[in-house]
Amino acid sequence: MDETQLLRGALALYAAAGASLRGPRRALGWLTAALLLHTGALALRWQALGHGPFTTLHEILSSNLWSLVALFTAAAWALRELRPALAAAMPVWALLAAWLLVADPAPGHFPPTYATPLLYLHTLVGKLFLGLLLVAVALGAVPVLRRTARGRRWFAAAPDDRRLDELAHRFAAFAFVFETLMLIVGAVWAQDAWGRYWAWDPLESWAFVTWLALAATLHGRATLRPSPARHGAWLAAVFVVAFLTFFGVPFLSMAPHKGAI
Amino acid sequence: MITTTTTTTTRRARHSAWRQAGRALVAHAGSLRATLAGLGLLAAVVLARPAWWPLAGAIALLAANLVVALVLHPGLRRRLPLLVAHLALLGLVVAVAAGRLLALDGRFELTEGLPFDGRLLDQDAGALHRPQLHRLAFTQLGFEIDYAPGRKRGATRNTVQWTDDQGRPQRAVIGDHHPLVLAGHRISTSPNKGFAPLLRWQPAQGEAVRGAVHLPSFPMHELRQSREWALPDGRSAWVLLQTDETLIDPQRADRFRLPGRHQLVLRVGEQRAVLAPGEALVLPGGTLVYEGLRTWMGYRVAYDPSLPWLLAASLLAALALALHYVQKFWGMPAAWGGSGVAGG
Repeated sequence: MDETQLLRGALALYAAAGASLRGPRRALGWLTAALLLHTGALALRWQALGHGPFTTLHEILSSNLWSLVALFTAAAWALRELRPALAAAMPVWALLAAWLLVADPAPGHFPPTYATPLLYLHTLVGKLFLGLLLVAVALGAVPVLRRTARGRRWFAAAPDDRRLDELAHRFAAFAFVFETLMLIVGAVWAQDAWGRYWAWDPLESWAFVTWLALAATLHGRATLRPSPARHGAWLAAVFVVAFLTFFGVPFLSMAPHKGAI
Repeated sequence: MITTTTTTTTRRARHSAWRQAGRALVAHAGSLRATLAGLGLLAAVVLARPAWWPLAGAIALLAANLVVALVLHPGLRRRLPLLVAHLALLGLVVAVAAGRLLALDGRFELTEGLPFDGRLLDQDAGALHRPQLHRLAFTQLGFEIDYAPGRKRGATRNTVQWTDDQGRPQRAVIGDHHPLVLAGHRISTSPNKGFAPLLRWQPAQGEAVRGAVHLPSFPMHELRQSREWALPDGRSAWVLLQTDETLIDPQRADRFRLPGRHQLVLRVGEQRAVLAPGEALVLPGGTLVYEGLRTWMGYRVAYDPSLPWLLAASLLAALALALHYVQKFWGMPAAWGGSGVAGG
């Protein structure tokens, strides 16, 4: 099988997982199988191009879909309480998958500034940040969705709102740690590549605003003591800013720091 | 007597009210709500970017909020990892401020084979920066730059040579992630580079003067390879590099190189000549000789003694925060206990 076939197979299995959300364990099984195919597709592309999926929109969408699903799936296998929240994460994966289908798969240029181990470290902590934040958002979304009758039915098997809120806070807290590390590694990389560690270009500014938004959410939970639904809404807002930073700014900004990884 | 007592009581009451108001103000300044307001203000300033001082002001407000919080809230001080994380953030702010005062960020261009003379094309230096550019006397000995099809720039390898503090000659290849570090200054190659015709003005009487004309960056300005050069007597010489070679083929992987066949169009006033290397144009008052073609490379020089401190403070903040959360969520015994301020 070639890369395209493996990727299409993976997307089909992701869709199958979405169709079997009533049985979270079965959905997890589909997701695990999809991840295997997706890993194969990424590995084949890496081998063919000689570099990782770091340069084009297609590669960035593909690698982030993989990492977001992989982190959630691993966490859901380890923590049973997480499984009902799969349904809340699914729209984000569906958006990335649909976008991936229309993104140009042509290879891009691997810039000389990417030839550093810092690329891998920056990418790793960045993906851990976004993946942990998505888990927090999915957990926090359940109390929000439970405000409707359909939501209450849909998430009847999920833990109570307080427990979900506590779990969401924990994942958000560690997402914050990894986001801090992502900014640090990015600054070290910028110093090496461009001779300055921070220049407030659009990507750096939006990444810092994401950090501030998550810091505000963590502090706000401690001082304002929001309801689980309100805390979930805050986390969703932070995720929107993070999503725009990851997938919007690098492709809209004309600044030299594209940072699309 | 009664009036005096009443006045004293009123004064005391007023004094007490002021003190209470002051305490309330300080408590408010160190509150988490003030932190939230500060974070929001900083985010707004970052996105609006009106100037550097609102940014510095917002960061200073947050730092003040943190200092007051550390003084007022024992709970924040009792949790050692959380305390260390916040102190590291304060250290980070101090290091950034010190770096801005002491730093230098400049740009210069250097002709192949010629030493850096310490002059910058432009610079941004902190108020307390002490210039030491005379210590950076290095020579660039040429470079290689790979290009992928489509003229997409690849790796840069620039050979440089200098003499170390012990007087020993040193040589290195710099570029991309490998700056030249001299006297604490980091000298990085830039994407700007190009061709430099070497000219010699031989006046009828007196010493000859040599100069290199840095033509516009190549291949970005491929169709604009001309520039003016001022002769010592004030006249202006216009030079244009002409070649019929495709220097960086966009259809295939290629490498930056000097043209094998080329000529230099030289115009001074009404006189015009097309010169090959070694040829000259005789002008009133002297002769202008075209000695040959070399390359020039653009560099960025950065000096910031706060960098190690910045890295240490930011890593300490992140790791201390991670430890705080591990202790908090995994029920590890918190040696200093307490549940005062919930730091998130």
